[in-house]
Amino acid sequence: MSPQQGQQIDLTSLSAQQLSQLKKQLDSELEHLTSSFQSLRTAQSRFRDCLKSIKTVEAQKESGTEARYMHRRTKAHPHLIPLTSSLYVPGHFSHIAPSELSLEGTGSEPELLVDVGTGFFVSKSPKHATEFYNDKIKDLEASLKELEGVINAKGQNSRVVEDVLRQKVLAGQGGGSGEGKEIEAS
Amino acid sequence: MGDQKKLQELSDEFQKFQAELQSIVDGRQKLESQQQENDSVKKEFTKNPNATKFKLIGPVLLKQDQTEAQMSVDGRLDFIEKEIKRVEGQIKDIQTKSEQKKMEIIQLQSSIQQQSQGQAQAAQA
Repeated sequence: MSPQQGQQIDLTSLSAQQLSQLKKQLDSELEHLTSSFQSLRTAQSRFRDCLKSIKTVEAQKESGTEARYMHRRTKAHPHLIPLTSSLYVPGHFSHIAPSELSLEGTGSEPELLVDVGTGFFVSKSPKHATEFYNDKIKDLEASLKELEGVINAKGQNSRVVEDVLRQKVLAGQGGGSGEGKEIEAS
Repeated sequence: MGDQKKLQELSDEFQKFQAELQSIVDGRQKLESQQQENDSVKKEFTKNPNATKFKLIGPVLLKQDQTEAQMSVDGRLDFIEKEIKRVEGQIKDIQTKSEQKKMEIIQLQSSIQQQSQGQAQAAQA
């Protein structure tokens, strides 16, 4: 990747042209990493949204339980189901409705279908689904931390290279001095 | 002038190799991410062997049993592993080829430089 990681190279020994090339390479790496960072962040916030949705479903279930003795349809928070982007109809989750639960009599928790990737879905209880998403978020957090470190290091490298390059240009000796020295970037 | 033309040709070829390498590396990255995704699905399956599983086929969710789902994920992982090995081979191949071209270019460049230096010296003398 970056030459600074493999061999130590005295930046001042490079010519202005080599330096600007190095800078360009570092910048493009930095850009790539930053965009990866962004997409990880979006993925993470999507998982957070999933968690929020589970909570909403759970809240619905609880309010449904309270409303057991009342009329279910009027008490339990209805949801608005989008038919088009501007037309909604009220609805409620039928499979977590308390009456159905008690009808089954198994005491089993309501099931959610979780997309685990590559086109597979696994049915999970809200508790397990929450765990699943929390794990995902934690994994992403670790990757984000790691990536942040790399980005900072790269940014530092890029700044140093820029500094040396500026000094070179200011000193007016760019071009000639570093010729013949191999740049070991790969 | 013949040297310059040859140099141009060589650098064109070198650039072609580089572009090819880039696209293969992109493919390699894609395989890597697919492998990771399948790995996480496999982990999920082994963690909950008894959970009901569905497979998305087109717009429908089809129920699948554990062994079937497990097998298809294992099959995919196998395939991806083989693909990765194949692509790694390709990458190595192209890398050596482009390295060779690079050496040729450097040789040609230095010989051109020497010639022009020799001419300059001759002109001075």
